[in-house]
Amino acid sequence: MVSITLFLALAAILFCIGLYGVLTRRHLVIVLASIELMLNAVNINLVAFSAIGPFANITGQVFTLFVITVAAAEAAVALAILIALYRNRNSIDVLKHDLLRW
Amino acid sequence: MIVLETDWSLMTPEISLAALALLVFTIDFMTGIHGKKPFIGRLAVLSLLVTAVLVILLNPGGGSIGDLFLVDPFARLFKLIILIGVAMVIMISMYYLDRNPEVYQGEYYSIMMFAALGAMLMVSSADLITLFIGLEILSISSYVLAGFKKHHRHSTEAALKYVILGGTASAFILYGMSFLYGLTGSTSLVEIGQAMPVLFQQYPALVGMSFLFMLVGFGFKISIVPFHMWAPDVYQGSPTPVTAFLTVVSKLAGFAIVIRIFTLAFGFEGIHGEWSFILAVMAAITMITGNFIALTQNNVKRLMAYSGIAQAGYLLVPFAVVLGDFSSTVIVFYSVAYLMMTLGAFAVITLVTEDSGMTDISSFAGLYYRSPYMAIAMTVFLVSLGGLPLTAGFIGKVNIFILAAAGDMLWLAIIMILTSVVSFYYYFGFIKQMFMTEPRPNDKELFVPGGLLTVVTVSLAVVLLLGIAPNLLLDIFNQYNWMPSFN
Repeated sequence: MVSITLFLALAAILFCIGLYGVLTRRHLVIVLASIELMLNAVNINLVAFSAIGPFANITGQVFTLFVITVAAAEAAVALAILIALYRNRNSIDVLKHDLLRW
Repeated sequence: MIVLETDWSLMTPEISLAALALLVFTIDFMTGIHGKKPFIGRLAVLSLLVTAVLVILLNPGGGSIGDLFLVDPFARLFKLIILIGVAMVIMISMYYLDRNPEVYQGEYYSIMMFAALGAMLMVSSADLITLFIGLEILSISSYVLAGFKKHHRHSTEAALKYVILGGTASAFILYGMSFLYGLTGSTSLVEIGQAMPVLFQQYPALVGMSFLFMLVGFGFKISIVPFHMWAPDVYQGSPTPVTAFLTVVSKLAGFAIVIRIFTLAFGFEGIHGEWSFILAVMAAITMITGNFIALTQNNVKRLMAYSGIAQAGYLLVPFAVVLGDFSSTVIVFYSVAYLMMTLGAFAVITLVTEDSGMTDISSFAGLYYRSPYMAIAMTVFLVSLGGLPLTAGFIGKVNIFILAAAGDMLWLAIIMILTSVVSFYYYFGFIKQMFMTEPRPNDKELFVPGGLLTVVTVSLAVVLLLGIAPNLLLDIFNQYNWMPSFN
Protein backbone atom coordinates (compact mmCIF):
# COMPACT_ATOMS: atom_id res chain seq x y z
CA MET A 1 0.00 0.00 0.00
CA VAL A 2 1.52 3.28 -1.08
CA SER A 3 1.33 6.05 1.50
CA ILE A 4 -1.03 8.94 0.70
CA THR A 5 1.80 11.38 1.43
CA LEU A 6 3.44 10.51 -1.89
CA PHE A 7 0.31 11.40 -3.82
CA LEU A 8 -0.12 14.64 -1.93
CA ALA A 9 3.52 15.53 -2.57
CA LEU A 10 3.11 14.79 -6.29
CA ALA A 11 0.03 17.03 -6.38
CA ALA A 12 1.83 19.81 -4.51
CA ILE A 13 4.75 19.66 -6.95
CA LEU A 14 2.41 19.71 -9.96
CA PHE A 15 0.54 22.66 -8.49
CA CYS A 16 3.78 24.60 -8.01
CA ILE A 17 5.01 23.80 -11.53
CA GLY A 18 1.67 25.01 -12.89
CA LEU A 19 1.78 28.22 -10.85
CA TYR A 20 5.37 28.84 -11.94
CA GLY A 21 4.32 28.37 -15.55
CA VAL A 22 1.41 30.82 -15.24
CA LEU A 23 3.65 33.44 -13.68
CA THR A 24 6.72 33.18 -15.91
CA ARG A 25 5.92 31.84 -19.39
CA ARG A 26 5.41 34.31 -22.23
CA HIS A 27 3.55 32.02 -24.58
CA LEU A 28 -0.18 32.26 -23.86
CA VAL A 29 -1.00 28.67 -24.87
CA ILE A 30 1.59 27.39 -22.39
CA VAL A 31 0.09 29.66 -19.74
CA LEU A 32 -3.30 28.02 -20.34
CA ALA A 33 -1.70 24.56 -20.21
CA SER A 34 -0.15 25.51 -16.87
CA ILE A 35 -3.60 26.34 -15.48
CA GLU A 36 -4.75 22.87 -16.55
CA LEU A 37 -1.74 21.46 -14.69
CA MET A 38 -2.86 23.20 -11.51
CA LEU A 39 -6.38 21.81 -11.91
CA ASN A 40 -4.96 18.32 -12.45
CA ALA A 41 -2.99 18.64 -9.23
CA VAL A 42 -6.36 19.18 -7.54
CA ASN A 43 -7.71 16.06 -9.26
CA ILE A 44 -4.82 13.93 -7.99
CA ASN A 45 -5.45 15.23 -4.49
CA LEU A 46 -9.16 14.44 -4.67
CA VAL A 47 -8.72 10.97 -6.12
CA ALA A 48 -5.99 10.11 -3.61
CA PHE A 49 -8.17 11.18 -0.70
CA SER A 50 -11.10 9.35 -2.23
CA ALA A 51 -9.19 6.07 -2.59
CA ILE A 52 -6.81 5.86 0.38
CA GLY A 53 -7.59 8.91 2.49
CA PRO A 54 -8.55 8.82 6.19
CA PHE A 55 -12.24 8.98 5.19
CA ALA A 56 -12.19 7.21 1.82
CA ASN A 57 -15.48 7.46 -0.07
CA ILE A 58 -16.75 8.02 -3.59
CA THR A 59 -17.55 11.76 -3.26
CA GLY A 60 -14.02 12.78 -4.16
CA GLN A 61 -14.16 11.01 -7.51
CA VAL A 62 -17.50 12.64 -8.28
CA PHE A 63 -15.92 16.01 -7.49
CA THR A 64 -13.05 15.14 -9.85
CA LEU A 65 -15.50 14.51 -12.71
CA PHE A 66 -17.01 17.94 -12.15
CA VAL A 67 -13.58 19.57 -12.04
CA ILE A 68 -12.58 17.91 -15.34
CA THR A 69 -15.82 19.02 -17.03
CA VAL A 70 -15.55 22.60 -15.84
CA ALA A 71 -11.85 22.73 -16.77
CA ALA A 72 -12.77 21.69 -20.30
CA ALA A 73 -15.40 24.43 -20.54
CA GLU A 74 -12.96 26.98 -19.21
CA ALA A 75 -10.26 25.90 -21.67
CA ALA A 76 -12.73 26.20 -24.55
CA VAL A 77 -13.64 29.77 -23.60
CA ALA A 78 -10.00 30.67 -22.97
CA LEU A 79 -8.89 29.39 -26.40
CA ALA A 80 -11.77 31.23 -28.09
CA ILE A 81 -10.69 34.47 -26.41
CA LEU A 82 -7.09 33.71 -27.41
CA ILE A 83 -8.08 33.40 -31.06
CA ALA A 84 -10.04 36.66 -30.92
CA LEU A 85 -7.01 38.35 -29.41
CA TYR A 86 -4.67 36.87 -32.02
CA ARG A 87 -6.89 38.18 -34.83
CA ASN A 88 -6.76 41.66 -33.35
CA ARG A 89 -3.08 41.81 -32.46
CA ASN A 90 -1.28 39.07 -34.45
CA SER A 91 0.62 37.94 -31.39
CA ILE A 92 0.17 35.62 -28.44
CA ASP A 93 3.17 36.86 -26.52
CA VAL A 94 2.13 37.92 -23.01
CA LEU A 95 4.49 40.88 -22.89
CA LYS A 96 3.02 42.50 -25.99
CA HIS A 97 -0.46 42.75 -24.51
CA ASP A 98 0.03 45.80 -22.39
CA LEU A 99 -2.62 48.27 -23.57
CA LEU A 100 -4.24 48.30 -20.15
CA ARG A 101 -1.91 49.55 -17.47
CA TRP A 102 -2.32 51.65 -14.32
CA MET B 1 -32.15 8.77 -1.27
CA ILE B 2 -31.90 12.48 -1.83
CA VAL B 3 -33.49 12.29 -5.26
CA LEU B 4 -36.81 10.77 -4.19
CA GLU B 5 -37.43 12.40 -0.85
CA THR B 6 -36.40 15.94 -1.67
CA ASP B 7 -38.68 18.91 -1.99
CA TRP B 8 -37.46 20.05 -5.41
CA SER B 9 -39.86 23.01 -5.34
CA LEU B 10 -37.14 24.80 -3.35
CA MET B 11 -35.30 25.18 -6.65
CA THR B 12 -38.25 26.58 -8.63
CA PRO B 13 -36.74 30.06 -9.20
CA GLU B 14 -33.47 28.57 -10.50
CA ILE B 15 -35.20 26.04 -12.73
CA SER B 16 -37.53 28.64 -14.21
CA LEU B 17 -34.66 31.08 -14.80
CA ALA B 18 -32.70 28.33 -16.58
CA ALA B 19 -35.73 27.52 -18.75
CA LEU B 20 -36.30 31.19 -19.56
CA ALA B 21 -32.62 31.71 -20.38
CA LEU B 22 -32.73 28.76 -22.79
CA LEU B 23 -35.92 30.21 -24.29
CA VAL B 24 -34.22 33.57 -24.86
CA PHE B 25 -31.26 31.71 -26.38
CA THR B 26 -33.55 29.81 -28.77
CA ILE B 27 -35.54 32.87 -29.81
CA ASP B 28 -32.23 34.54 -30.56
CA PHE B 29 -31.27 31.74 -32.97
CA MET B 30 -34.68 31.81 -34.63
CA THR B 31 -34.43 35.53 -35.40
CA GLY B 32 -31.06 35.50 -37.15
CA ILE B 33 -27.59 36.34 -35.90
CA HIS B 34 -27.21 39.95 -36.93
CA GLY B 35 -29.09 43.13 -36.26
CA LYS B 36 -30.52 44.91 -33.27
CA LYS B 37 -32.76 42.93 -30.97
CA PRO B 38 -34.20 45.15 -28.26
CA PHE B 39 -37.17 42.79 -27.82
CA ILE B 40 -34.83 40.06 -26.56
CA GLY B 41 -33.48 42.49 -23.99
CA ARG B 42 -37.02 43.28 -22.83
CA LEU B 43 -37.81 39.58 -22.62
CA ALA B 44 -34.67 39.05 -20.52
CA VAL B 45 -35.61 41.82 -18.09
CA LEU B 46 -39.13 40.38 -17.84
CA SER B 47 -37.76 36.88 -17.14
CA LEU B 48 -35.47 38.17 -14.40
CA LEU B 49 -38.31 40.09 -12.76
CA VAL B 50 -40.59 37.01 -12.93
CA THR B 51 -37.85 34.99 -11.25
CA ALA B 52 -37.46 37.70 -8.59
CA VAL B 53 -41.21 37.48 -7.86
CA LEU B 54 -40.88 33.69 -7.56
CA VAL B 55 -38.01 34.14 -5.10
CA ILE B 56 -40.18 36.45 -2.98
CA LEU B 57 -43.36 34.38 -3.08
CA LEU B 58 -42.14 30.79 -2.85
CA ASN B 59 -40.76 29.00 0.21
CA PRO B 60 -41.02 31.78 2.78
CA GLY B 61 -40.24 29.20 5.46
CA GLY B 62 -36.99 28.14 3.81
CA GLY B 63 -35.59 24.65 3.75
CA SER B 64 -32.76 22.64 2.32
CA ILE B 65 -32.08 19.85 -0.14
CA GLY B 66 -29.93 17.40 1.79
CA ASP B 67 -27.43 20.04 3.00
CA LEU B 68 -26.52 20.72 -0.63
CA PHE B 69 -28.81 23.58 -1.39
CA LEU B 70 -30.03 25.97 1.30
CA VAL B 71 -32.96 28.37 1.05
CA ASP B 72 -32.70 30.76 3.99
CA PRO B 73 -33.26 34.55 4.30
CA PHE B 74 -29.58 35.17 3.50
CA ALA B 75 -29.78 33.27 0.21
CA ARG B 76 -33.14 34.78 -0.76
CA LEU B 77 -32.04 38.37 -0.10
CA PHE B 78 -28.85 37.92 -2.13
CA LYS B 79 -30.84 36.26 -4.93
CA LEU B 80 -33.10 39.31 -5.07
CA ILE B 81 -30.06 41.61 -5.12
CA ILE B 82 -28.55 39.56 -7.97
CA LEU B 83 -31.75 39.42 -10.04
CA ILE B 84 -32.55 43.11 -9.67
CA GLY B 85 -28.92 43.97 -10.35
CA VAL B 86 -28.79 41.91 -13.55
CA ALA B 87 -32.14 43.32 -14.70
CA MET B 88 -30.81 46.86 -14.27
CA VAL B 89 -27.54 45.95 -16.00
CA ILE B 90 -29.53 44.60 -18.95
CA MET B 91 -31.50 47.84 -19.15
CA ILE B 92 -28.21 49.74 -19.30
CA SER B 93 -26.93 47.23 -21.88
CA MET B 94 -29.91 47.80 -24.16
CA TYR B 95 -28.82 51.41 -24.64
CA TYR B 96 -25.18 50.37 -25.05
CA LEU B 97 -25.94 47.66 -27.62
CA ASP B 98 -28.18 50.06 -29.51
CA ARG B 99 -25.13 52.31 -29.95
CA ASN B 100 -22.78 49.40 -30.83
CA PRO B 101 -24.50 47.37 -33.55
CA GLU B 102 -21.35 45.33 -34.26
CA VAL B 103 -21.82 43.41 -30.98
CA TYR B 104 -23.93 40.23 -31.28
CA GLN B 105 -27.02 41.03 -29.29
CA GLY B 106 -29.11 37.97 -28.51
CA GLU B 107 -26.32 35.86 -27.02
CA TYR B 108 -25.34 38.78 -24.82
CA TYR B 109 -28.66 38.72 -22.99
CA SER B 110 -28.82 34.95 -22.58
CA ILE B 111 -25.23 34.76 -21.28
CA MET B 112 -26.09 37.49 -18.79
CA MET B 113 -29.06 35.41 -17.63
CA PHE B 114 -26.88 32.32 -17.25
CA ALA B 115 -24.47 34.39 -15.17
CA ALA B 116 -27.40 35.35 -12.92
CA LEU B 117 -28.32 31.67 -12.67
CA GLY B 118 -24.78 30.75 -11.62
CA ALA B 119 -24.76 33.48 -8.99
CA MET B 120 -28.14 32.29 -7.64
CA LEU B 121 -26.92 28.69 -7.35
CA MET B 122 -23.79 29.93 -5.65
CA VAL B 123 -25.48 31.94 -2.89
CA SER B 124 -27.80 29.02 -2.10
CA SER B 125 -25.18 26.29 -2.02
CA ALA B 126 -23.94 24.62 1.14
CA ASP B 127 -21.80 22.03 -0.56
CA LEU B 128 -18.37 22.34 -2.14
CA ILE B 129 -19.43 20.78 -5.46
CA THR B 130 -22.62 22.86 -5.88
CA LEU B 131 -20.70 25.94 -4.86
CA PHE B 132 -17.93 25.28 -7.38
CA ILE B 133 -20.41 24.68 -10.22
CA GLY B 134 -22.29 27.91 -9.44
CA LEU B 135 -19.04 29.85 -9.19
CA GLU B 136 -17.81 28.55 -12.54
CA ILE B 137 -21.12 29.21 -14.34
CA LEU B 138 -20.82 32.80 -13.15
CA SER B 139 -17.09 33.08 -13.91
CA ILE B 140 -17.14 31.54 -17.39
CA SER B 141 -20.11 33.72 -18.37
CA SER B 142 -18.18 36.74 -17.07
CA TYR B 143 -15.10 35.86 -19.14
CA VAL B 144 -17.23 35.72 -22.27
CA LEU B 145 -19.01 38.98 -21.44
CA ALA B 146 -15.73 40.80 -20.78
CA GLY B 147 -14.56 39.95 -24.31
CA PHE B 148 -17.86 40.64 -26.02
CA LYS B 149 -16.54 43.42 -28.27
CA LYS B 150 -14.43 40.89 -30.09
CA HIS B 151 -13.10 43.26 -32.73
CA HIS B 152 -11.88 45.63 -30.08
CA ARG B 153 -8.32 45.27 -28.78
CA HIS B 154 -8.97 46.44 -25.23
CA SER B 155 -11.95 44.16 -24.75
CA THR B 156 -10.19 40.96 -25.87
CA GLU B 157 -7.10 41.81 -23.84
CA ALA B 158 -9.25 42.37 -20.76
CA ALA B 159 -11.04 39.06 -21.33
CA LEU B 160 -7.77 37.18 -21.67
CA LYS B 161 -6.31 38.65 -18.50
CA TYR B 162 -9.55 37.81 -16.71
CA VAL B 163 -9.68 34.20 -17.93
CA ILE B 164 -6.04 33.47 -17.03
CA LEU B 165 -6.15 35.00 -13.57
CA GLY B 166 -9.70 33.70 -12.97
CA GLY B 167 -8.64 30.17 -13.88
CA THR B 168 -5.66 30.40 -11.53
CA ALA B 169 -7.93 31.63 -8.73
CA SER B 170 -10.32 28.73 -9.35
CA ALA B 171 -7.39 26.33 -9.08
CA PHE B 172 -6.42 27.88 -5.74
CA ILE B 173 -9.98 27.56 -4.42
CA LEU B 174 -10.16 23.92 -5.55
CA TYR B 175 -6.80 23.05 -4.03
CA GLY B 176 -8.00 24.42 -0.69
CA MET B 177 -11.29 22.55 -1.04
CA SER B 178 -9.51 19.25 -1.80
CA PHE B 179 -7.85 19.34 1.63
CA LEU B 180 -11.14 20.10 3.35
CA TYR B 181 -12.64 17.07 1.62
CA GLY B 182 -9.66 14.89 2.44
CA LEU B 183 -9.71 15.74 6.13
CA THR B 184 -13.46 15.25 6.61
CA GLY B 185 -14.50 12.84 3.85
CA SER B 186 -17.43 15.08 3.03
CA THR B 187 -18.14 17.97 0.70
CA SER B 188 -21.04 19.33 2.74
CA LEU B 189 -20.16 22.60 4.45
CA VAL B 190 -22.39 21.69 7.40
CA GLU B 191 -20.56 18.41 8.02
CA ILE B 192 -17.18 20.07 7.53
CA GLY B 193 -18.19 22.71 10.07
CA GLN B 194 -19.19 20.02 12.58
CA ALA B 195 -15.86 18.22 12.17
CA MET B 196 -13.83 21.43 12.26
CA PRO B 197 -13.29 21.95 16.04
CA VAL B 198 -11.65 18.51 16.36
CA LEU B 199 -9.79 18.82 13.08
CA PHE B 200 -8.35 22.16 14.02
CA GLN B 201 -6.88 20.59 17.16
CA GLN B 202 -5.41 17.66 15.21
CA TYR B 203 -4.16 19.27 12.01
CA PRO B 204 -3.86 23.04 12.52
CA ALA B 205 -1.34 23.35 9.67
CA LEU B 206 -3.47 21.58 7.05
CA VAL B 207 -6.64 23.44 8.05
CA GLY B 208 -4.76 26.74 7.99
CA MET B 209 -3.32 25.95 4.57
CA SER B 210 -6.68 25.07 3.09
CA PHE B 211 -8.13 28.27 4.59
CA LEU B 212 -5.34 30.38 3.08
CA PHE B 213 -5.68 28.81 -0.38
CA MET B 214 -9.41 29.49 -0.38
CA LEU B 215 -8.84 33.02 0.90
CA VAL B 216 -6.45 33.71 -1.99
CA GLY B 217 -8.88 32.33 -4.56
CA PHE B 218 -11.97 34.07 -3.22
CA GLY B 219 -9.96 37.22 -2.51
CA PHE B 220 -9.27 37.34 -6.22
CA LYS B 221 -12.95 36.89 -7.09
CA ILE B 222 -14.05 39.77 -4.85
CA SER B 223 -10.93 41.83 -5.72
CA ILE B 224 -9.49 42.59 -2.30
CA VAL B 225 -5.89 43.78 -2.02
CA PRO B 226 -3.34 42.16 -2.63
CA PHE B 227 -5.33 40.13 -5.18
CA HIS B 228 -6.89 43.11 -6.97
CA MET B 229 -4.44 43.76 -9.83
CA TRP B 230 -6.72 42.25 -12.48
CA ALA B 231 -9.70 44.42 -11.61
CA PRO B 232 -8.72 47.83 -13.05
CA ASP B 233 -7.47 46.27 -16.31
CA VAL B 234 -10.54 44.10 -16.80
CA TYR B 235 -12.97 46.86 -15.80
CA GLN B 236 -11.37 49.34 -18.17
CA GLY B 237 -11.29 47.01 -21.16
CA SER B 238 -14.76 45.45 -20.84
CA PRO B 239 -17.87 47.01 -22.39
CA THR B 240 -19.24 49.52 -19.85
CA PRO B 241 -22.43 47.60 -18.84
CA VAL B 242 -20.29 44.50 -18.30
CA THR B 243 -18.06 46.57 -16.03
CA ALA B 244 -21.19 47.46 -14.05
CA PHE B 245 -22.09 43.77 -13.91
CA LEU B 246 -18.63 42.77 -12.65
CA THR B 247 -18.45 45.57 -10.09
CA VAL B 248 -21.86 44.86 -8.60
CA VAL B 249 -23.34 41.44 -9.25
CA SER B 250 -20.16 39.40 -9.51
CA LYS B 251 -18.61 41.04 -6.47
CA LEU B 252 -21.70 40.83 -4.23
CA ALA B 253 -22.30 37.18 -5.16
CA GLY B 254 -18.65 36.51 -4.32
CA PHE B 255 -19.08 38.19 -0.95
CA ALA B 256 -22.20 36.16 -0.22
CA ILE B 257 -20.39 32.91 -0.82
CA VAL B 258 -17.31 33.95 1.15
CA ILE B 259 -19.53 34.74 4.11
CA ARG B 260 -21.42 31.47 3.71
CA ILE B 261 -18.35 29.26 3.43
CA PHE B 262 -16.36 30.90 6.21
CA THR B 263 -19.39 30.92 8.50
CA LEU B 264 -20.35 27.30 7.95
CA ALA B 265 -16.92 25.72 7.63
CA PHE B 266 -14.62 28.00 9.64
CA GLY B 267 -17.20 29.74 11.81
CA PHE B 268 -16.81 28.22 15.29
CA GLU B 269 -15.48 30.36 18.11
CA GLY B 270 -11.94 29.09 18.48
CA ILE B 271 -10.95 29.49 14.85
CA HIS B 272 -12.73 32.78 14.11
CA GLY B 273 -10.24 34.54 16.36
CA GLU B 274 -7.40 33.02 14.31
CA TRP B 275 -8.49 34.44 10.98
CA SER B 276 -10.49 37.52 11.89
CA PHE B 277 -7.29 39.52 12.34
CA ILE B 278 -5.96 38.47 8.90
CA LEU B 279 -9.23 39.61 7.35
CA ALA B 280 -9.22 42.87 9.30
CA VAL B 281 -5.71 43.67 8.05
CA MET B 282 -6.72 42.81 4.49
CA ALA B 283 -9.79 45.05 4.81
CA ALA B 284 -7.58 47.90 6.02
CA ILE B 285 -5.05 47.48 3.17
CA THR B 286 -7.90 47.20 0.68
CA MET B 287 -9.51 50.45 1.81
CA ILE B 288 -6.20 52.33 1.84
CA THR B 289 -4.91 51.03 -1.50
CA GLY B 290 -8.22 51.39 -3.35
CA ASN B 291 -8.86 54.94 -2.21
CA PHE B 292 -5.33 56.25 -2.66
CA ILE B 293 -4.72 54.78 -6.12
CA ALA B 294 -8.14 56.09 -7.23
CA LEU B 295 -6.85 59.62 -6.55
CA THR B 296 -4.47 59.42 -9.51
CA GLN B 297 -6.91 58.05 -12.10
CA ASN B 298 -8.22 59.99 -15.09
CA ASN B 299 -10.11 57.16 -16.75
CA VAL B 300 -13.67 56.92 -15.43
CA LYS B 301 -13.90 53.13 -15.59
CA ARG B 302 -10.51 52.65 -13.93
CA LEU B 303 -11.49 55.11 -11.24
CA MET B 304 -14.73 53.21 -10.61
CA ALA B 305 -12.69 49.99 -10.44
CA TYR B 306 -10.50 51.36 -7.65
CA SER B 307 -13.56 52.82 -5.96
CA GLY B 308 -15.11 49.33 -6.16
CA ILE B 309 -11.99 47.84 -4.55
CA ALA B 310 -12.29 50.35 -1.71
CA GLN B 311 -15.99 49.48 -1.31
CA ALA B 312 -15.04 45.79 -1.08
CA GLY B 313 -12.81 46.80 1.83
CA TYR B 314 -15.76 48.45 3.64
CA LEU B 315 -17.86 45.32 3.08
CA LEU B 316 -15.12 43.15 4.52
CA VAL B 317 -15.06 45.06 7.83
CA PRO B 318 -18.26 43.69 9.48
CA PHE B 319 -17.34 40.20 8.36
CA ALA B 320 -13.89 40.46 9.95
CA VAL B 321 -15.28 41.80 13.23
CA VAL B 322 -17.96 39.28 14.09
CA LEU B 323 -20.17 36.63 12.49
CA GLY B 324 -23.84 36.58 13.31
CA ASP B 325 -27.26 37.99 12.62
CA PHE B 326 -26.37 41.63 13.25
CA SER B 327 -23.26 41.64 11.08
CA SER B 328 -25.27 39.94 8.31
CA THR B 329 -27.90 42.68 8.59
CA VAL B 330 -25.17 45.31 8.21
CA ILE B 331 -23.60 43.53 5.24
CA VAL B 332 -26.88 42.98 3.40
CA PHE B 333 -27.96 46.59 3.98
CA TYR B 334 -24.68 47.91 2.61
CA SER B 335 -24.97 45.48 -0.33
CA VAL B 336 -28.38 46.91 -1.24
CA ALA B 337 -27.03 50.46 -0.98
CA TYR B 338 -23.92 49.52 -2.99
CA LEU B 339 -26.05 47.87 -5.70
CA MET B 340 -28.22 50.94 -6.16
CA MET B 341 -25.59 53.67 -5.97
CA THR B 342 -23.07 51.87 -8.19
CA LEU B 343 -25.57 50.82 -10.86
CA GLY B 344 -27.05 54.33 -10.91
CA ALA B 345 -23.58 55.81 -11.34
CA PHE B 346 -22.78 53.31 -14.10
CA ALA B 347 -26.00 54.18 -15.94
CA VAL B 348 -24.90 57.83 -16.08
CA ILE B 349 -21.32 56.83 -16.95
CA THR B 350 -22.55 54.66 -19.85
CA LEU B 351 -24.68 57.51 -21.15
CA VAL B 352 -21.89 60.08 -20.98
CA THR B 353 -19.00 57.95 -22.24
CA GLU B 354 -21.03 56.53 -25.14
CA ASP B 355 -22.11 60.03 -26.11
CA SER B 356 -18.60 61.46 -26.10
CA GLY B 357 -16.87 58.30 -27.33
CA MET B 358 -14.13 58.50 -24.71
CA THR B 359 -13.77 57.30 -21.14
CA ASP B 360 -11.74 60.20 -19.79
CA ILE B 361 -13.14 62.03 -16.79
CA SER B 362 -13.30 65.24 -18.82
CA SER B 363 -16.19 63.74 -20.80
CA PHE B 364 -18.31 64.78 -17.79
CA ALA B 365 -17.50 68.47 -18.41
CA GLY B 366 -20.58 70.63 -18.01
CA LEU B 367 -23.01 67.73 -17.66
CA TYR B 368 -25.23 69.99 -15.54
CA TYR B 369 -25.83 72.30 -18.50
CA ARG B 370 -26.52 69.39 -20.84
CA SER B 371 -28.80 67.30 -18.65
CA PRO B 372 -29.49 68.70 -15.16
CA TYR B 373 -31.36 65.62 -13.93
CA MET B 374 -28.50 63.25 -14.81
CA ALA B 375 -25.94 65.56 -13.20
CA ILE B 376 -27.91 65.83 -9.96
CA ALA B 377 -28.60 62.08 -9.85
CA MET B 378 -24.89 61.35 -10.43
CA THR B 379 -24.01 63.76 -7.62
CA VAL B 380 -26.30 61.87 -5.24
CA PHE B 381 -24.76 58.52 -6.23
CA LEU B 382 -21.21 59.83 -5.76
CA VAL B 383 -22.05 61.45 -2.44
CA SER B 384 -23.58 58.17 -1.35
CA LEU B 385 -20.49 56.21 -2.46
CA GLY B 386 -18.38 58.65 -0.47
CA GLY B 387 -20.72 58.29 2.52
CA LEU B 388 -22.23 61.71 3.24
CA PRO B 389 -25.52 62.05 5.19
CA LEU B 390 -29.03 61.72 3.72
CA THR B 391 -27.93 58.85 1.48
CA ALA B 392 -28.05 55.07 1.81
CA GLY B 393 -24.25 54.88 1.69
CA PHE B 394 -24.01 57.01 4.83
CA ILE B 395 -26.36 54.79 6.84
CA GLY B 396 -24.54 51.68 5.64
CA LYS B 397 -21.17 53.08 6.68
CA VAL B 398 -22.45 54.27 10.05
CA ASN B 399 -23.72 50.75 10.74
CA ILE B 400 -20.36 49.26 9.79
CA PHE B 401 -18.57 51.85 11.95
CA ILE B 402 -20.74 51.10 15.00
CA LEU B 403 -20.24 47.36 14.54
CA ALA B 404 -16.46 47.70 14.26
CA ALA B 405 -16.20 50.09 17.21
CA ALA B 406 -18.37 47.84 19.39
CA GLY B 407 -16.39 44.76 18.39
CA ASP B 408 -12.99 45.93 19.68
CA MET B 409 -11.72 46.93 16.24
CA LEU B 410 -11.75 50.69 16.67
CA TRP B 411 -8.54 51.05 14.63
CA LEU B 412 -10.31 49.48 11.65
CA ALA B 413 -13.26 51.86 12.06
CA ILE B 414 -10.89 54.84 12.16
CA ILE B 415 -9.08 53.71 9.01
CA MET B 416 -12.49 53.42 7.36
CA ILE B 417 -13.43 57.00 8.25
CA LEU B 418 -10.06 58.40 7.18
CA THR B 419 -10.04 56.61 3.82
CA SER B 420 -13.65 57.73 3.22
CA VAL B 421 -12.47 61.31 3.63
CA VAL B 422 -9.78 60.62 1.03
CA SER B 423 -12.43 59.24 -1.31
CA PHE B 424 -14.36 62.53 -1.25
CA TYR B 425 -11.49 64.07 -3.20
CA TYR B 426 -11.90 61.91 -6.29
CA TYR B 427 -15.68 61.78 -6.12
CA PHE B 428 -15.74 65.57 -5.99
CA GLY B 429 -13.48 65.55 -9.06
CA PHE B 430 -16.53 64.30 -10.97
CA ILE B 431 -18.81 66.89 -9.37
CA LYS B 432 -16.39 69.68 -10.24
CA GLN B 433 -16.38 68.55 -13.87
CA MET B 434 -20.16 68.38 -14.01
CA PHE B 435 -21.03 71.70 -12.39
CA MET B 436 -18.04 74.03 -12.63
CA THR B 437 -16.63 73.31 -16.08
CA GLU B 438 -18.12 74.62 -19.29
CA PRO B 439 -19.34 71.97 -21.76
CA ARG B 440 -17.05 71.35 -24.70
CA PRO B 441 -18.02 73.33 -27.83
CA ASN B 442 -19.62 70.46 -29.77
CA ASP B 443 -21.64 69.02 -26.91
CA LYS B 444 -25.37 69.44 -27.24
CA GLU B 445 -28.15 68.70 -24.82
CA LEU B 446 -28.12 65.03 -23.84
CA PHE B 447 -31.03 62.82 -24.84
CA VAL B 448 -31.75 60.27 -22.11
CA PRO B 449 -33.43 57.07 -23.37
CA GLY B 450 -36.24 55.50 -21.34
CA GLY B 451 -34.34 52.45 -20.05
CA LEU B 452 -31.51 54.47 -18.58
CA LEU B 453 -33.95 56.98 -17.15
CA THR B 454 -35.77 54.15 -15.36
CA VAL B 455 -32.54 52.74 -13.91
CA VAL B 456 -31.35 56.15 -12.73
CA THR B 457 -34.74 57.08 -11.23
CA VAL B 458 -35.17 53.78 -9.40
CA SER B 459 -31.61 53.89 -7.98
CA LEU B 460 -31.99 57.55 -7.01
CA ALA B 461 -35.29 56.86 -5.24
CA VAL B 462 -33.87 53.89 -3.31
CA VAL B 463 -30.64 55.67 -2.36
CA LEU B 464 -32.52 58.71 -1.01
CA LEU B 465 -35.31 56.70 0.61
CA LEU B 466 -32.87 54.45 2.47
CA GLY B 467 -30.85 57.50 3.42
CA ILE B 468 -33.85 59.23 5.00
CA ALA B 469 -35.78 56.22 6.32
CA PRO B 470 -33.33 53.30 6.65
CA ASN B 471 -35.67 51.58 9.13
CA LEU B 472 -37.95 50.59 6.27
CA LEU B 473 -35.37 47.95 5.44
CA LEU B 474 -33.51 47.56 8.74
CA ASP B 475 -36.70 46.66 10.64
CA ILE B 476 -37.37 43.82 8.21
CA PHE B 477 -33.75 42.66 8.30
CA ASN B 478 -33.57 42.67 12.09
CA GLN B 479 -36.36 40.09 12.29
CA TYR B 480 -34.48 37.63 10.11
CA ASN B 481 -32.61 34.66 11.37
CA TRP B 482 -30.17 34.90 8.45
CA MET B 483 -28.65 31.44 8.53
CA PRO B 484 -29.80 28.36 10.45
CA SER B 485 -26.28 27.99 11.86
CA PHE B 486 -26.42 31.35 13.68
CA ASN B 487 -28.56 29.99 16.52
